[in-house]
Amino acid sequence: MPRYGNARSNARNWFIHRITGTFLVFLLITHFWVQHYDSELASVAHQVITTEQAEAGELPTYPDAAQEGVRARVGEGVEVTPYDVVMQRLADPVYAVLWKAFNLFFLVFALHHGFYGLNNVMSDYIRSDSGKLIAKTLSWTLAVILFIVGAYSVITAGWGYTPPM
Amino acid sequence: MATETTERPQVATDTKRFQWYKVRTGMFAWMLHRLTGVALVVYLTVHIWGLRTLSDADAFNALITSYHAPIFKVGEFLLLGAVVYHALNGLRIVLIDFLGWSPNQKRLFWTLGAVAAIIMVVGGYPIIATLVSHFFG
Repeated sequence: MPRYGNARSNARNWFIHRITGTFLVFLLITHFWVQHYDSELASVAHQVITTEQAEAGELPTYPDAAQEGVRARVGEGVEVTPYDVVMQRLADPVYAVLWKAFNLFFLVFALHHGFYGLNNVMSDYIRSDSGKLIAKTLSWTLAVILFIVGAYSVITAGWGYTPPM
Repeated sequence: MATETTERPQVATDTKRFQWYKVRTGMFAWMLHRLTGVALVVYLTVHIWGLRTLSDADAFNALITSYHAPIFKVGEFLLLGAVVYHALNGLRIVLIDFLGWSPNQKRLFWTLGAVAAIIMVVGGYPIIATLVSHFFG
């Protein structure tokens, strides 16, 4: 007889999937607003840079507001790189705590939602029990690795950041 | 005792591995939800892996610059589409699961479709405009 896991834990995971999904919509709206639309903090520049230009050392140019935001903190006339724009949030003594906590929540919710969903899909198409077990083990191992890598990256981001001179 | 029986309807007995279903709105929504979901897990993996550069200014700048290549701008637009679809259809699923089925499902689906189209136009405009001015500007 095939094993379908513990029924109670399946129901709980199903419920959690709905909750994380709903939260992700709001987390994603915040993430998007800050990264892409807030003109002072935006860390995405709407600009195409070809491989040749990138090899020649060209960097994306940010909106004036973002450049001024960085210069207001670190000094006039410095060259503002993408890293400096992101460090406005992640190296700031006050905001860093807020954004790092936000990002850790985001990371856990996204990973649980994504990999639970992926396992649902895989268990629909993989027919053998051993295949299901292998897919489940591998995918959740990847999720744990990504959690460790992501959490470490987020927590240590900006440590020892030296602003441009 | 003999009773008159109608002939049993023929059941397809061929053992084809795949069954083709008639794809209706709900089925299409479900397939697209799976497809975008799997694509988003792949994106999530790449995205988190890239976060490692947050501790190295030069590596971070190089990575971000490479993400401004034309192909990634196209990918960014597709990503927006996948996220918007998966988020709105996901909310629709949560509504059905928690509030129950309603006869207005189709209307809800197409209303959310209109919302998605608006987000795609507003959010996708800068990306498309950037690409157009790069290739034709």
